[in-house]
Amino acid sequence: MTQKRSRHIDLFKMRKGFMLKPLAVGIAGIMSSGCADDRQDAQIYTSVDDCKRDYPDAVEKCEAAYQTALDEAARTSPRFGTESDCEYEFGANQCREMNSGSGSFFMPFMAGYMVSQLLSPRPYYSQPIYTSYSPYSPFRSRWITADGYVFDGDIRKRNYKVSPSVYKPKPTVTRTVNRGGFGSSVRAKSSWGSSSRSGGWGG
Amino acid sequence: MLRIPVKQRLDWQQQAAEYGFQFHTMYGEPYWDESAYYQFSLQQIENDIEDPTAELHEMCLQAVEKIHADEQWLQKFRIPEQHWDLIYHSWRDEEPSLYSRLDLVYDGKSTAKLLENNADTPTSLYESGFWQWLWLEQQVDRGNLPRHADQFNSVQEKLVNRFSEIAAYYQINQMHFACCQDTDEDRGTVQYLQDCAEAAGIRSDFIFIEDIGLGDTGVFTDLKDNPITDCFKLYPWEFMLREAFGDALSEAGTHWIEPPWKALLSNKALLPLLWQMFPDHPNLLPSWFAEDTPALSTGKWIKKPLFSREGANISLIDNGEQTDLSDGPYGEEGYIVQAYQALPQFAENYTLIGSWLIDDMPAGISVREDSSMITQDLSRYLPHIIA
Repeated sequence: MTQKRSRHIDLFKMRKGFMLKPLAVGIAGIMSSGCADDRQDAQIYTSVDDCKRDYPDAVEKCEAAYQTALDEAARTSPRFGTESDCEYEFGANQCREMNSGSGSFFMPFMAGYMVSQLLSPRPYYSQPIYTSYSPYSPFRSRWITADGYVFDGDIRKRNYKVSPSVYKPKPTVTRTVNRGGFGSSVRAKSSWGSSSRSGGWGG
Repeated sequence: MLRIPVKQRLDWQQQAAEYGFQFHTMYGEPYWDESAYYQFSLQQIENDIEDPTAELHEMCLQAVEKIHADEQWLQKFRIPEQHWDLIYHSWRDEEPSLYSRLDLVYDGKSTAKLLENNADTPTSLYESGFWQWLWLEQQVDRGNLPRHADQFNSVQEKLVNRFSEIAAYYQINQMHFACCQDTDEDRGTVQYLQDCAEAAGIRSDFIFIEDIGLGDTGVFTDLKDNPITDCFKLYPWEFMLREAFGDALSEAGTHWIEPPWKALLSNKALLPLLWQMFPDHPNLLPSWFAEDTPALSTGKWIKKPLFSREGANISLIDNGEQTDLSDGPYGEEGYIVQAYQALPQFAENYTLIGSWLIDDMPAGISVREDSSMITQDLSRYLPHIIA
């Protein structure tokens, strides 16, 4: 009989909340530290809510930065052929199986994301951050990037100075001359006080 | 079609938190309700819902063709004249559609009737495509539902495939996604679509509708001043066409999803047009423009604004007597009337079927219940199975 429902949904990719799951990897790619005045403040957040607490006026940027980091994690996270290899680096139950067109592999959970220049009018930066719970890993309780850069201090430290070269800058294409030209109908209709609710324009 | 009480998953709220399903409770009222489910037979699903859904959609596409053939219809649909070309070009160029939801009155026995077509900004997509799917998998695993239980729900699979087709059509690997501020439900729906697009290999950038900018070169921009070239928007065309940036739409060249021609299908003027084109079709209810309806003095009719959020500004006309069933801010563009069709009742609830199309393929259903006759925001969503 033909099945009427989706055959497979990748539950890993559907997960949004991230617990402090470890991570990271063994190859030590070293980030060039750059000269001092070249560096910028960056913060590591282990949840979107942490970021929103720091930036109550930029919650959408927190969400966007988180999403950027998640996307980046899906693309660049360390990959292992077996679960035990992955767990050796990141700790028990810290890895998830992923399926791609060419087969399955294991990758660690993203443990947090690092953002910089969130409030700057220039592009802000965001990247996934990992840590390890494995007693065998040199990265246990340390923050580490997907390409193996290990930050100093342990995972209690959340504020860093980083070189911009850690990030891929996004191109700026146009100058924006005007904003806010969409959305006025929502405000108009919402001000009519309904018993149900104000937001949402889906049907 | 049965409504059957079932054991709830004890950890469903915890899982909702993990999966980011944040609007399962809205305005202090439960929205996701898994204390019961609806059971359909395969015949009911395939013969009574799936096939009519495909046919109704086909009829809707013929209606779009007809609207473009005669501009009196564009006037009847209250499409601002300056945007006729935008809509016509998007139709002529076959700009791809992503999804629609037909709302059907169906009781398991009688022929399903089309109430309206949410062709532009349908929601309840995440709970349909993913959350009720997960519910079924887990309830089967936990022995609360039989192994053979299935569900009419290939929404997610089809969404991912459709995004791949759209990426190929527009030759893109990146899209923007937009909805209004201050609504968890819309943001959740858009996030779900971003996830589906990502699964199709499309990078997604989110922006709130209110934050969209207009660049010096006439293109729309995001907050990083990057051009918005391809954009999914959970925001109705009838608003966009009338707002300040409406004038910039044709120059901007953005590929929108849903495309502009969907403005014609989400418009309730579609209902009288369909009735004129396909009189007495078994899945249609008699419908007229309020201004040229023949016989309102007899029978029961529902009067709805051309544009409205579901459930707002609805009146019942019973033997010529009008009673307002809900109020709201809509109606200035005119009204249609549609023959009254009672929603079926299951355990004292009024039940409405939403039938999903991904592009032109029927893809699944959502079942919503309300304690009142009009399904509004505070209706509850219940999962379903085929058994």
